[in-house]
Amino acid sequence: MQPIMIISRKQYLYSISVILIFLVLIVRFFYLQIYKQAQYLRASEKNRIREVVIEPTRGLIIDRNGEVLVDNHPSYSVYVIPFEVKDADSVLDLAGQILSMESSEIKNIINHGRSSIFTPVKLKRQIDFITLSRIEEQKLDLPGIIYQIEPRRYYSSGVRAPHVFGYLGEITRQELNQIEFKGFRLGDIVGKKGLERFYEKELRGLRGYQYIEVDALGREIRKLKDKPEILPLPGKNLHLTIDAQLQYALEARMDTLKGGAVVIDCTNGEVLALVSKPDYDPEIFTKPISLETWKELINDPDKPLYDRMVQSLYPPGSTYKLVLAAAALESGIIKPNWKAFCPGYTWLGRKRYDCWNLSGHGELDLYGAIEQSCNVYFYKLGLKTRLDNWAKFSQLFLFDKPTGIDLIDEKSGQVPDRDYLDQQYGKDRWTEGMILNLSIGQGDLLVTPLQMVRLAMIIANEGICYSLHLLNYLEDPIDGTKHWAVSDSVRINGISPETYKILKQGMYRVTHGGQGTGRAAVYKDITMAGKTGTAENPHGEAHAWFIGYAPADKPKIAFCILVENGGSGGKVAAPIAREVIKNYFYRLKVNRDKI
Amino acid sequence: MIKSSNVKITGAEYGLILVVLLLVLMGLLAIYSVSYQVELPVLKANFTRQILWFFISVVILVFAVIIPTRAYQASAFWLYFITIIFLILTLVLNQGSSVTRWITIGPMRFQPSEFAKIGVILALARYLSHEKRNLNKLKDIAISFGIVLLPFLLVAKQPDLGTALVFLAVILPVLFWAGMPSFFLLLIVAPLIVMIASLNYYTYFLAMILIAVALLFFKRGLFSSILIMILNIVVGIVTPILWNHLHEYQKHRILTFLGIEMDPHGLGYQVIQSKVAIGSGGFWGKGILKGTQTQLRFLPEQHTDFVFSVIGEELGFIGSLFVMILFLILLLRGIYIASKVRNKFSSLMVIGAIAILGFHIIVNIGMTVGVMPVTGLPLPFLSYGGSFLIVCMILTGIIINASIRRFKY
Repeated sequence: MQPIMIISRKQYLYSISVILIFLVLIVRFFYLQIYKQAQYLRASEKNRIREVVIEPTRGLIIDRNGEVLVDNHPSYSVYVIPFEVKDADSVLDLAGQILSMESSEIKNIINHGRSSIFTPVKLKRQIDFITLSRIEEQKLDLPGIIYQIEPRRYYSSGVRAPHVFGYLGEITRQELNQIEFKGFRLGDIVGKKGLERFYEKELRGLRGYQYIEVDALGREIRKLKDKPEILPLPGKNLHLTIDAQLQYALEARMDTLKGGAVVIDCTNGEVLALVSKPDYDPEIFTKPISLETWKELINDPDKPLYDRMVQSLYPPGSTYKLVLAAAALESGIIKPNWKAFCPGYTWLGRKRYDCWNLSGHGELDLYGAIEQSCNVYFYKLGLKTRLDNWAKFSQLFLFDKPTGIDLIDEKSGQVPDRDYLDQQYGKDRWTEGMILNLSIGQGDLLVTPLQMVRLAMIIANEGICYSLHLLNYLEDPIDGTKHWAVSDSVRINGISPETYKILKQGMYRVTHGGQGTGRAAVYKDITMAGKTGTAENPHGEAHAWFIGYAPADKPKIAFCILVENGGSGGKVAAPIAREVIKNYFYRLKVNRDKI
Repeated sequence: MIKSSNVKITGAEYGLILVVLLLVLMGLLAIYSVSYQVELPVLKANFTRQILWFFISVVILVFAVIIPTRAYQASAFWLYFITIIFLILTLVLNQGSSVTRWITIGPMRFQPSEFAKIGVILALARYLSHEKRNLNKLKDIAISFGIVLLPFLLVAKQPDLGTALVFLAVILPVLFWAGMPSFFLLLIVAPLIVMIASLNYYTYFLAMILIAVALLFFKRGLFSSILIMILNIVVGIVTPILWNHLHEYQKHRILTFLGIEMDPHGLGYQVIQSKVAIGSGGFWGKGILKGTQTQLRFLPEQHTDFVFSVIGEELGFIGSLFVMILFLILLLRGIYIASKVRNKFSSLMVIGAIAILGFHIIVNIGMTVGVMPVTGLPLPFLSYGGSFLIVCMILTGIIINASIRRFKY
């Protein structure tokens, strides 16, 4: 045996080693349980608490008179809870048969979509009632297959206006990266086009959350008592300036045509009707759209997905003669009594330029030239006014700027000036003939119908331009508070009231003069002013235009009608304007009489 | 109860028994909390079964105390050989199956590797307490190593590396206690340190300086000092070469085992959840049955290897500290007894028992807080499991046995 001294020295050595190691462990416990406690508590809470999103109700879209145009209706979606699908193959086969899906497809969805075996995975959105009742009938053979109610859009009023309303769809990966959609997940439904997209934030509302305690396998244990659920806030209702009756009437009137119409209140810029044809049934986007339907829409040569009023550019034709007239008058180049003789054509160098009326208009002053839309008069006027003046006044009338309507993807017109033509054709390689084409609204000049209705409004208001808008006010569905749309207005500087008076006189004669090209637009005793246009284009028949306002003495509404490849503006577009006048003023009169 | 002029049970022994009983109670509390969930009857049975094992193990503890020390000494080698035979049987009987830790005899199922721990410390104590042993001789040291290497290899083959390492952990404290010169300790430990240090230039360089300083301190002659130095340098050079020849998955496995690398899906997941459980417990804990990590089963192996995390979560820093102080009392008291016992066999037997208990405690608790590798070693007295509880009680019995007879030669 060793001496006691050595043993007791070793006793200390061993004891101190043990104490030191224990101290390290205790310090470690101190670090985890006291210094880092908050962090680990958060981690353990995150482990056990599952956040379940409660989707808010989307706001409704309502017309100016309170008629609901876009509503929410219940629809049924089918989910599968992977854990509860016991006899997987037979259940999935049966489910696939009812939902007309391949069972391999279902397996694929489950494998990609599941976060835990207890979390429902969406199999199919918006099943019809026959499918729903079949699932209900065979419930016992379908353990783990459930359905849930989800709202979908429903268009109850008969108004289609798909380009105005737009549609909803599943969020794309690209959108997920945008700040606006922070916190969204794949499979979430968001506005894709039109008002649904433009007012997505307002319509959507705020999500609510429910907190559920789950175990390590992801099973739901109970609702948390210490963390109450947050109720969702419903989206705001969108009250539009659209007049459903006028919209509906115009949609019906133009159903077989290509083109569109826009009617605005020219005293404040409210859009009363906005029609683009051909369109599509907005209902098709309320269900998950099939690939065939989508391809059909995309590949349709008539491009029904396109909003022609907002996104398409057209040569304005003779309607644009108003701009040239204003430029010539304002620049002091002519007085309205300046006369030109129209033999039905004119020569520029060795090239002959025809009037639309080949037998000629004879001698005309400016009023007569507007009334009869004489090309020869304006060819001559264009040569006198010159390109720079014309381009300057085009810009003054805002043709290089969009109207700022509350829709996405609005296009702006294309106003060719000297720089543009130099760039396009080479410096000094373009001829005076270019000016002749531009004088009658042809050539490289392109505008949107919205810009044309804005021109009508500016003339009607003698220089005051309101920004166009579809939103009247946003309404909180809970407390009814209203948030009114702000309507901007600008004054067009550089055009005198005299010039507007002359233009208005000319436009009055278009509809009320003996030789007026737009006489077909007049309805009963309602006075009006307008301008026809027949814009030739290389792709077929000319586009028929008609722009104007009414009543002539005290303008209330302005409008622009466009019929693509429709032919003569006076014969095709003007009668549609008559429909507008009739519907708007006649209905107004009847209503007034009632009061 | 025990009548002999040299045998005396004092308050100290009762204190030690109280410490052990408190530890078992803490364990039962944790196991109760884990098996509280009504929906899982399998776990519910664990609690009642562990109570049963507790009573059985107390009876065995009493026997371990009563048996004269001479009987331990006389049967030491026999017990060792029996446990070795059982270890071989375990391997033979379970051939072809992947889990080969248990032997089933009738209704009983037990782990021979647990009982081998007792066989090993008895055999070591017996061998080293022989008066002819001279621990300056390499032969006696080599035979001591042989005694632990045999069960080490048999258990490692099962494969249960964690338990196997327990045998290796016993040898150094016991040899050193028995009087092995510290120079030999250096010889054994230095290459191991170099192996780990050689993975980095700086630590390698530092380790070599430390070894050189130690060699100067021991003054064992120039030739042998240089030889040892060269040997360690070679180990340091060869290790990284061998390391680089390993496959990625092999490296990953070793690093994960050492706790250097985390594997968030396998063992890493367990450690992360254990740390979350312990850390979220805070100072006072979340309360019995209120630990969300435990009750909702985020914590893995919560009634066996990670039982301490349950205490950490539900009883907080206070509870953890309480258990650690109990363990500390047990270990320090054991070391004290080992130093006071006059019989050398008893003294070595106690140090062996302390080494086994201490290694389990430190490695297990260290694992739950992420400072030790996940080896699958249970926590003495607290973890669920009959064989291990009985072995821990026998080890306690050995300590008390020596304590009450400490004045006997």
